[in-house]
Amino acid sequence: MATLTCKQALAHLSDYIDEEGSAELRRALEDHISWCRRCRVVFDTTEKAVKIVLDVEPFEVPLAVSARLYTRLEEVLSEK
Amino acid sequence: MNEHARAPNSGGEDDLALIELVLAGDRRAFEPLVRKHERRVFRVALAVLGNSEDAEEAMQDTFIKAYRHLDQFRGESRFTTWLTRIAVNEALQKRHARKESVSLDEAPDVESKSLPGRFEPWTSNPERLYGKQEIRELVEGAIQALPPIYRETLVLRDIEEMSAEEAADTLEITVPALKSRLLRARLLLRESLGRHFEERRPLPTRILDSAKRLRNMMKVMTGTAGR
Repeated sequence: MATLTCKQALAHLSDYIDEEGSAELRRALEDHISWCRRCRVVFDTTEKAVKIVLDVEPFEVPLAVSARLYTRLEEVLSEK
Repeated sequence: MNEHARAPNSGGEDDLALIELVLAGDRRAFEPLVRKHERRVFRVALAVLGNSEDAEEAMQDTFIKAYRHLDQFRGESRFTTWLTRIAVNEALQKRHARKESVSLDEAPDVESKSLPGRFEPWTSNPERLYGKQEIRELVEGAIQALPPIYRETLVLRDIEEMSAEEAADTLEITVPALKSRLLRARLLLRESLGRHFEERRPLPTRILDSAKRLRNMMKVMTGTAGR
């Protein structure tokens, strides 16, 4: 695969993070970020952002919201 | 334990056993199913609708619909996928009822805004800068600030861990469209979090963060946290 431009590399950022795409594409992306500092930072920090989002398990159900859900379900479950 | 740390189908057998009990007439068996999945359903509804009040209503409607149509669950997909689809549908219907134009979400400047503009590496250890709860709040704020079509895509792919095909199918868009939205969503999120996690952050951001930490500490010490 020919050397990638920054724009082409960026278009495949998700393939890189999700480990999708061909081995050839992966090599081309790794080659690009080995010499392009800006893309290396973008790839590395986007990967970190995705990992942080998964790790923190955002958005809990507020207790009051949960309580109201069970009250409403109780009504539905006791229907004849 | 995080969802992603589990084997893909673990927990699915428990769901099936509970579903069989409900279908056999044991209505109480529906409650543990709700307990297990309420957070996912709420998060998905919140991603589509953007506010807690509407998300609450969509969550209630989702579980009631799932209960009433449980006999239609064929077990071909995982229960979580089936339920998530109902949640997205309920939330999308509410969004349409609010007469929000989705095209507004795709403002032409989003393309330029999602182009990377920050090129400093991030600290390898954000926990040194922030507490766990603070990191969660920063992430929640960054996700909530995304335009809806990017927010829902990011949540389905990167939190609920649906495949690109499942997420595209659920949102009724093509896989290439899904992938394009996901890329933008991730880049926008990176820009937003970069303000806090870069190794060499601009001084004003550091001062503001320190002031916020100090204020939170004071709140905890004086017992006014959460007010």
